[in-house]
Amino acid sequence: MVSKVLVANRGEIACRILRACSEAGLESVAIYASNDADSMFVELATEAIMLEGDSISETYLNQQQILEIASSSGCDAIHPGFGFLSERADFARAVGDSGIQWVGPSPEAIEKMGDKMTARITMRHAGVPVIPGEEIEQEDEGEALRAIEQASSRVGYPLLLKASSGGGGKGMRAVQRPDELLDAAKSARREAVAAFGDGRVYLERLLTGSKHVEIQILADRTGRTIHLGERECSVQRRHQKVFEEAPCATMTEEIRSAMGQAAVAAAQAVNYEGAGTVEFLLAPSGEFFFLEMNTRIQVEHPVTELVTGVDIVREQLRIAAGQPMSCGELHLRGHAIEVRLYAEDASNNFLPAIGPLAVFRPPEGPGIRLDTGVRQGDEVTPNYDPMLAKLIVWAPSREEALQRMRRSLDDFVVLGTTTNLRFLRELCDVPDVITGDTDTTMIDRLWPNGWSPAVPPNFTDGALLVAAAAESAGLNMSLSVSNQMVGDSGPVSPFLTLNRRYP
Amino acid sequence: MQHQFKGHDGLIEVLLEKQGDHWLFNGHTARVKDSRTLSLDLSDGTTGQATVVKVKDAWWVHFQGHTFCLERIEPGTSDGGDEGGLTAPMPGKVLEVLVQTGDIVVAGQALMILEAMKMEHRIVAATDGTISAVHFAAGDQVQQGSALLELVE
Repeated sequence: MVSKVLVANRGEIACRILRACSEAGLESVAIYASNDADSMFVELATEAIMLEGDSISETYLNQQQILEIASSSGCDAIHPGFGFLSERADFARAVGDSGIQWVGPSPEAIEKMGDKMTARITMRHAGVPVIPGEEIEQEDEGEALRAIEQASSRVGYPLLLKASSGGGGKGMRAVQRPDELLDAAKSARREAVAAFGDGRVYLERLLTGSKHVEIQILADRTGRTIHLGERECSVQRRHQKVFEEAPCATMTEEIRSAMGQAAVAAAQAVNYEGAGTVEFLLAPSGEFFFLEMNTRIQVEHPVTELVTGVDIVREQLRIAAGQPMSCGELHLRGHAIEVRLYAEDASNNFLPAIGPLAVFRPPEGPGIRLDTGVRQGDEVTPNYDPMLAKLIVWAPSREEALQRMRRSLDDFVVLGTTTNLRFLRELCDVPDVITGDTDTTMIDRLWPNGWSPAVPPNFTDGALLVAAAAESAGLNMSLSVSNQMVGDSGPVSPFLTLNRRYP
Repeated sequence: MQHQFKGHDGLIEVLLEKQGDHWLFNGHTARVKDSRTLSLDLSDGTTGQATVVKVKDAWWVHFQGHTFCLERIEPGTSDGGDEGGLTAPMPGKVLEVLVQTGDIVVAGQALMILEAMKMEHRIVAATDGTISAVHFAAGDQVQQGSALLELVE
């Protein structure tokens, strides 16, 4: 039985899970750091408890504190979301040992898949094809660097260095030439130590021109393991996905079936339970290779939900409670596309940006879904990941889904903080995106010297006119930032909220 | 009415004309609808609603899928510039300092590595020159806008 769920996360995924709990009639507990006290997710829980401490390791990564809160608040399940503690086997184990249900797979499955080197070996044994490469077991910096150098000549260039504990592009480096190897290896190891406390890396041949295609898996305790079709997430910047869709535009029924079976075999090889994602590289030849398995809910799960009609988070809660999954035979319907809205400057190497969300006005209309953890008046700070929202559209065909995405992005207004909205909008007009011939190096190939927006003639003049007219008309008066807000009967200033939080 | 905004290559002057409740500039027309909205009528016939908000000195403008951030120069103030210093693009931690005072560097060379939002960022020389000062060491926390190093051409 599960009746009260602690959500060990923040932001948009905490909102997603807390709403699912509410819909399922479950009580919920949100935990939050003091700098999140005014965040949206805190309001969506039945109870909200503040974490002591300032840094992420003292708060959202503090296993002991979270466990104590779960026990004292009477929670019988913990949903970890993604990131933070979601793939920490030691935490999953500690949760189980406290008699609390972990919403996710067993600690053993997390361990086998979480250590990417072990996962490669496990998959080889299960008969799932893996990318040609070599694992580097040495932990000592000098020895590891020597071993990497030796392995590089066998793997060949270009190659990828990846952190064995890695994820989200952290601790990952593409190496084009031998003279770049040493710097890349040091930098990858350093980032891996900082992010995961484990500097081990492995080498993989860099398969250029490949698509990133992943299969969503669900497995319950009755022994049923199914796949929910694929998502394509080839369009990436800095190895982080920005544009995801289901189904993959160039997928054939034959490859889907083979990849689905491989994914189910991968899950069964570790006695998987709950929702998970098996990632593959799909080569132009139609060959595919296991990349990794993510043993948690994934950022881009909504596109699968829209084309299958399955509520994956509700299924996670059901499976964790020991019930069989509710979905029967699946049929893919229509096409879904997700873009990730980041606070970042796409014209300056995607540098993260901060600032107030002075205006945050999402698009509306049929077939549009917004998963976010922010609202107008919030402040984007450097404390957490710069992802602001996921905009997901569904339409009967891929062409119509792209049309709907273009319209939605044009209607999306975010002012006060630089975002990648225009970059995402221009992506929708790229010929390779329109035809579906996307691959993982597309962004670098299209914009080798960086992206800059194509602004129609007169638009800059028009914007200058609007700014100047707004200044002359005194529109700033009701919106200006000041510590002493002048009493004003005009529209409520978002900065009132900011001032409350940052006196 | 005259306004000045900061552009990529120096100041942009906007000489604004008022006719009734219409504002005119370069053949384009705008009219205030409410405190966040102006209707915009461009000289090429493009029309639509623009959304505006002012944050500190900058006007943010959204029009038909395009977003602009226009920093306004208050009359009488000079455009200070950043005195050739290399500044932190956002708050973070110095991971590594790759140069010393007196080093001769070339444009594009990495000078410092910062960590912000769990990602590494390279601070790169914009021009050829000599490093005249290094203000931070590995491990130091830096604030957005902090001068990290000085580079003399």
